[in-house]
Parts: sequence; C-alpha cells; structure tokens
Amino acid sequence: MQVLIFSWEYPPRKIGQLAEYIDSLSKDLVENKIKTYVITCHDFLTGITEQPSGVTTVRVTNPVRNHISFLTWILTLNQEVGRVAANIIYQQKNQISLINVYDWHFIPAAVTLKRAFKIPIVYSVESLEDHRSQKANTPYNMAIKSIEWLGFYEANKITVKSKSIKNDITDIYKVPEEKIKIVESDWHSNFKKIRNIFTTISEGAKKE
Amino acid sequence: MKKSLNVMMLSWEYPPRVIGGISPHVFFLSKSLAEIGVKVHVVTCEFPGAPAHEVIDGVEVYRIDAYKNPSPDFASWIYLMNMNMQKEAATIAAKIENKIDVFHAHDWLVATAGIGLKHVFRKPLLVTIHSTEMGRRDGVHTQTEKMIHETEAWLTYEAWKVICCSNYMVAHARWVFGLPEDKLVMVPNGVNSRVYQSIKKGEEKKIRAKFALPEEKIVLYVGRLVYEKGIHILVNAAPRILEKVNAKFIIVGSGYMKEQLWEIVKSMNLEHKVLFAGFLEDEILLKLQKYADVSIVPSLFEPFGIVALEAMAAGSPTVVSDTGGLSEIVDHDLTGVKVYPNDPESLAWGVIKILSDEKYGAYIRKNAYKKIKDKYDWKKKALKTKKIYNSVLSEYSKSFWA
Repeated sequence: MQVLIFSWEYPPRKIGQLAEYIDSLSKDLVENKIKTYVITCHDFLTGITEQPSGVTTVRVTNPVRNHISFLTWILTLNQEVGRVAANIIYQQKNQISLINVYDWHFIPAAVTLKRAFKIPIVYSVESLEDHRSQKANTPYNMAIKSIEWLGFYEANKITVKSKSIKNDITDIYKVPEEKIKIVESDWHSNFKKIRNIFTTISEGAKKE
Repeated sequence: MKKSLNVMMLSWEYPPRVIGGISPHVFFLSKSLAEIGVKVHVVTCEFPGAPAHEVIDGVEVYRIDAYKNPSPDFASWIYLMNMNMQKEAATIAAKIENKIDVFHAHDWLVATAGIGLKHVFRKPLLVTIHSTEMGRRDGVHTQTEKMIHETEAWLTYEAWKVICCSNYMVAHARWVFGLPEDKLVMVPNGVNSRVYQSIKKGEEKKIRAKFALPEEKIVLYVGRLVYEKGIHILVNAAPRILEKVNAKFIIVGSGYMKEQLWEIVKSMNLEHKVLFAGFLEDEILLKLQKYADVSIVPSLFEPFGIVALEAMAAGSPTVVSDTGGLSEIVDHDLTGVKVYPNDPESLAWGVIKILSDEKYGAYIRKNAYKKIKDKYDWKKKALKTKKIYNSVLSEYSKSFWA
C-alpha cells in the first residue's frame, strides 16, 4: 500500500500538535510496510527528501508571495500540493491507494486528484472552523466552512479524535454518521486504527 | 483515422454570461475552431437559466457552480471559483475518451485551475493574456493588485505559449512578466461582421428614436465605466463637441465610475445630452452600433480594443485614442480617426471632424469594413490558433510527459 499525506504542518514547521503527530504517524506507517509520502509546505526547505525513517517528504512553497489573507495563500498553495502529488502518482504508475488529508487546508488539491485519478480520500479532522472562529459567520469564515463541507462531501472516510467532534460534524454539516470513525487520541492505538481504516479504504477502492 | 485535436478552453465568462471581451472572444474562437475540425470543450461559470451542459455549434459547453462558496472579496472568489472549476474540469477531462490534448486558459481569472489541470493531466497549457493587472491599474499598488500580478506571472510561467491579441500586448506582456520572446505569439482578435449584415433595413428611424431626437447625431460609447477605458475623457469632451454639432451621447455599459460620471454630467448641465443606457440587449446594441453616427473608444489602456472592431464591422466610423491595440486596428484618416489619449480637446476634434463631414464619414466606413473583411475574420484566427496547438504538441511529443 502507498499513501499520500497532506498536512500544512510537519517538522520543522510546527504550529500546533499536528506536526509531531504526522511525523510519528508517518514513521509508524512505514514500519508497517506502508509506503508513505508526506506533502507539506515550507518557505525555503522545498523539494523532495528521503527521510532516514523511510518516509518521503515533499515540501512546497507558494509562488505567489503577496497575499490578502490566509485563505488566498492556502488556495494558491494548493496548486503546488496538487502538482507534486500528481508527480508522485505518475512516478508510481498510479499505485497510490489513498490520500489522507489533515484539516481543510489541502482539501481542494485532494478533491481534484480524486476526480482525476479516482484515488479515495480519508479526511482527518483536528478541528472545525466553527471551533476556531467561535462560530463566526463572516464571508471569510463561511468560505473556509464551504471548503470543509467539500471535504466531508468528497471524503470516503472521515476520522476524528473525539465523540464531540463527530457530533459537531453531523450537526453542522449533516454528514451521515457511518462515514465518520473515531480514532483514539492515544497515539499507539490511534495509529493501529488508522492503518485498519487505510486497509479497508484501499481494498474497497480496488473492488470498484 | 487520425483522432481530432481535443482542446479544453477555460474561461470565467461565456455567453450568455458576458462581462467583458473574453466572453465573445472565447465564443467565436471555439466556434471557429470547431468549424475547422478541432473538438473544443469550454468550461465556464454558471449563468441563471443556462444549462450545465450543452453543445453549441459543435462546441461542448460546461457551466460549473461558481457561486456556491461564500467569499469575502473578488480575488478570493476567483480562487474559490477556480477550485470548483478545476475539480469539475478534472472530472470532465477524466471521462473524455480521446483525452484532452491541450488546456487553453484565458487570463488570470482561470489561472489556478489551468495550472492544476496541466500538472494533473500532464498536457500542455496555453494562455491568452487579454489584459494585465499592471496595465489595468497603471502599476501594481495594493496587496490585492500585487497578488493578482504575481498570479498572472505564474500563469505565463506555467504556460507553454502565451498568446496576445496585438503587437502592443506582446511587448507589454514581455516587459511585465519578463518573458522570453519565443514564448509569445500574436493572434489578433476576430470580429463577427455577419451579425451586423443580417440586421433588417428600415429600422434605423425606430432605433434612433429610442435614444435621441431626430436632429441629434448619435455618439456611442460601449464598454465598462472604469478608469482605464477613459470614458471620463469623452464626458469631458462633450461640451466642446456640443459647441459645434448637435449630438446625443449614449453610454452603454456599467462600472464603478458611473456615479462619478453622472455627477460630472450634472455639473455641466448636460443631463439631456448624455444618456447612461446601462447594459442593453444584444439585439438593440447591435442595431445601435450599426446606426451610430460615430463610435468612440477613448481608452487610456487598451490591450486590443474589440469594441473598435465591432464598430468597424457594424459600419459606424470610429474615433479611437492612439494607444495599445487600437493603434494597430485603426489607420488614421483611412479606417478611422486617431486622437491623443487622455486629451478631451483632441477627442472633441476627432468627433467633430467625422460628424461635420458626411462624405468623410462614409469614406472611413467603407475602408474600415474592407479592413475587417481582410484582416479580422474569425476563421483565419482559428487556423492560426490551431497551428499553434499543433506546434506545441509536436514539441510536447519529445518531452518526457508525452
């Protein structure tokens, strides 16, 4: 099995806990014979790197340097994420089993790749725009929520770390409950569950 | 049998959605390409009442959801619309049996979708640069303008070839984006003169009566009411013109300068001489273009100037400012009158020259129409564009993407 992980945080770029989580998860996947590519962003450490752990990382930067918001920065950055992901997909002769995307940031790239190559998406939710913005409803927040919605709609599976986030997703976005899986926040059991989900999704996609 | 060329055209406007010149450009280019055997798939934004998929004159037209994401501002809307456009275009392209050979984007408005599709399908991307942020704003000043400018530069960087509609734009794009000369190609716009030919005779009085008094000459402006179009120059020239000839100024189109222009008109007490007509139905507009005594294109920045071509095709003598693409379309004293840009005095002189001498007007009309027939036929533009596609594809066939 080969997976692409899209995350806007990855060491050395740490904003919250996600960076270290992705680092550990990707190492765990490789140890369990899952070929793992982490696609992330960094302003100058760009390019493809084979980590000693066996994880392949690709860091991209935004060719547009001036922005009016975090939103425009993310939306344009997605093209670079899509570009390097497509390169890997072609190099691996379309053997990528799934794309695991963290939060809303790289949903746009994931969705286009899904449509073009029929690669399933596992959308892992750390938090929702409603949590981060205290339910603000400005057009800016609504734009981000509409990207979250797109992710929930297109994802083959959604993973969350608590029952309360699951409830919020079903309440706010009307996502069917069976589409959402709770994965424990304890990393060891979490990784195991993630691997099981990957196997199910990857085998399901092969049957189609 | 050799499979036909499959082109996916990306444009944020396509009839019936018409905002500026890109819409008619993409419409006629696609239709004319279809006539010479190129399979064209247009992906564009939705429009109320227009179907999500239809075939028009052999062209496959797909209209995508463009307004489903709330957006804080225009530029963010563009990027969000591109997200949807890219996703839908990828779905369509993945289903096309013969595969898309070339993606062809029009302006930065579809930049990110075009760049994304190029890499996902590994096919060449071509771009037509109709206009630049640098030109529209006379430099890039705000954060938004810088962002748009960089997006345009990125698009030209990713494109295999950059097509411009005039020699002026070729030079402009080369300077603005620092492009190598061999990346640029010039294909002038075309114009459809048939639509004006098919207007029935004998309606002139009726149409004129809708807009002007019988004794008034019609001075026509068609275009957005924005700074770069120089409409304020025409408004400022109005009193000078009215000193010599009795005329009615008809201003078709809309834009952010509308209120400001109306204030100027009021301050000159010329409310009865200047008519802001807003957007007009195509049917009325075509007739107005045909019957106008003079058509004005007073632009300060004009990459091409399709409205001047339309006036020439319609048979209305034109007065244009001697700038950008207009300088190439109009030959002074032969196919139109050129005046100094940003100079109401000069513009007034040009308008008076045509309105006060009917023989001169008729002479200009005749020459202009001949030039349109010889140089600006859409079929010729389609043949040239097809040639560009084929030459790009022959270079591409030697690349590791092929």
